[in-house]
Amino acid sequence: MPNTISAGDTAWLLMSAALVMLMTPALGFFYGGLVRRKNVLATIMHSFFILALISVQWVLWGYTLAFGPDHGGLIGGLDWLALRGVGQDPGPYAPTVPHEAYMVFQMMFAVITPALITGAFAERKRFKAFVVFTLLWATFVYDPVAHWVWGGGWLGQLGALDFAGGTVVHITSGVSALVAALVLGRRVGFGRDAMDPHDATMTVLGASLLWFGWFGFNAGSAITAGGLAANAFVVTNTAAAMAALTWMTVSWLHKGAPSVLGAAAGAVAGLVAITPASGYVDVSASILIGLGAGIFCYTAIQLTKRLKVDDALDVFGVHGVGGAWGALATGIFATVAINSGAKDGLAYGNPGQLGIQAIAVAASIVYSAVMTFVILKLIDVFVGLRVPENEEVLGLDASQHREAAYQI
Amino acid sequence: MEILAFASFAVLVVAWLVAPSRGDVIVVSRAAEDRKAA
Repeated sequence: MPNTISAGDTAWLLMSAALVMLMTPALGFFYGGLVRRKNVLATIMHSFFILALISVQWVLWGYTLAFGPDHGGLIGGLDWLALRGVGQDPGPYAPTVPHEAYMVFQMMFAVITPALITGAFAERKRFKAFVVFTLLWATFVYDPVAHWVWGGGWLGQLGALDFAGGTVVHITSGVSALVAALVLGRRVGFGRDAMDPHDATMTVLGASLLWFGWFGFNAGSAITAGGLAANAFVVTNTAAAMAALTWMTVSWLHKGAPSVLGAAAGAVAGLVAITPASGYVDVSASILIGLGAGIFCYTAIQLTKRLKVDDALDVFGVHGVGGAWGALATGIFATVAINSGAKDGLAYGNPGQLGIQAIAVAASIVYSAVMTFVILKLIDVFVGLRVPENEEVLGLDASQHREAAYQI
Repeated sequence: MEILAFASFAVLVVAWLVAPSRGDVIVVSRAAEDRKAA
């Protein structure tokens, strides 16, 4: 068999994996700044611990469940358990890079996805419950849905387009976050006590690092170092910028001040929305996608607050709604002029693609909601989800980790 | 070797399940009181 490995593609993919790796601790800082100072360490720990936990889960059984040889369109086989047979030669998904490089790039997606959910149950979940939840959720939600879309499963066979994870990453995590917020219930003092972010600078730094890492997330998903990666890079940056501008403007008109945190959240919403579309749309479409992200995600968060749902760090509004908008927008704006291996969307005369995207959105919403609910209820019975009220009032840094973030 | 890899991870998971889950709240509270008194 001739050696087809491309040094350029391999270098870009490994670099992209490193960029995506950075996103998870960046998320920790993004969330860490948004919580009260008594919970900042616990919040950062969620992301940092997941980086370690899922790194091991993925090589042992996560990768083979998600990307192993297909079984009925639903799940991958156990052929690559503990990465048996996944080596330096190319695998079936990427002919120009070592299979191990593709695997580790995908690992970083598996790592950040459950970390996104942690923003919904911040400031009240027991650490042990969080650990068990993450392991079960990665195995029974992320790995199967990744297989459905990217591993040769039924949604991929149906023709659903998801370049870098609108359904697999953002809808699953966003919907699961909403379910988690409802099952855990509101924080003590919610709606009565001030729960303002303790360090907005930390959040803006986290958002900036997320933006930086997202170039690996989306442009790296081209798997090749060429024109498709360059297009994904450009539309990713454009959508993030447009959404930041839109969110800040909407919040300025709504609340009378141009919010710094709003600009940061808007950028993340734009990054979320462009994720599934980044390999299929041109720069004009990315501006519209960013505009929609700023409006829809901001509105969704106002609605959840009005309904008194304590999704502490607005995960559903940003990732659930942003991911759904991005997945549907892919069905509208996708064009073979950008990616000859894809299909045109509604705007280019193929309304059927929007229907396929809607099926993918609905399937990922229903599956992740039901499975997350079951997992949380089981954990509540056997482990217990929430810390006792006195420990919540004291703060999770002290009660769960016996540490304090600041000595000043 | 693979069995050892799975087993070592399984040992960690079991340890997380049986590890104490309550922080030493009393010690932390007392330290805060001590600081306040000082």
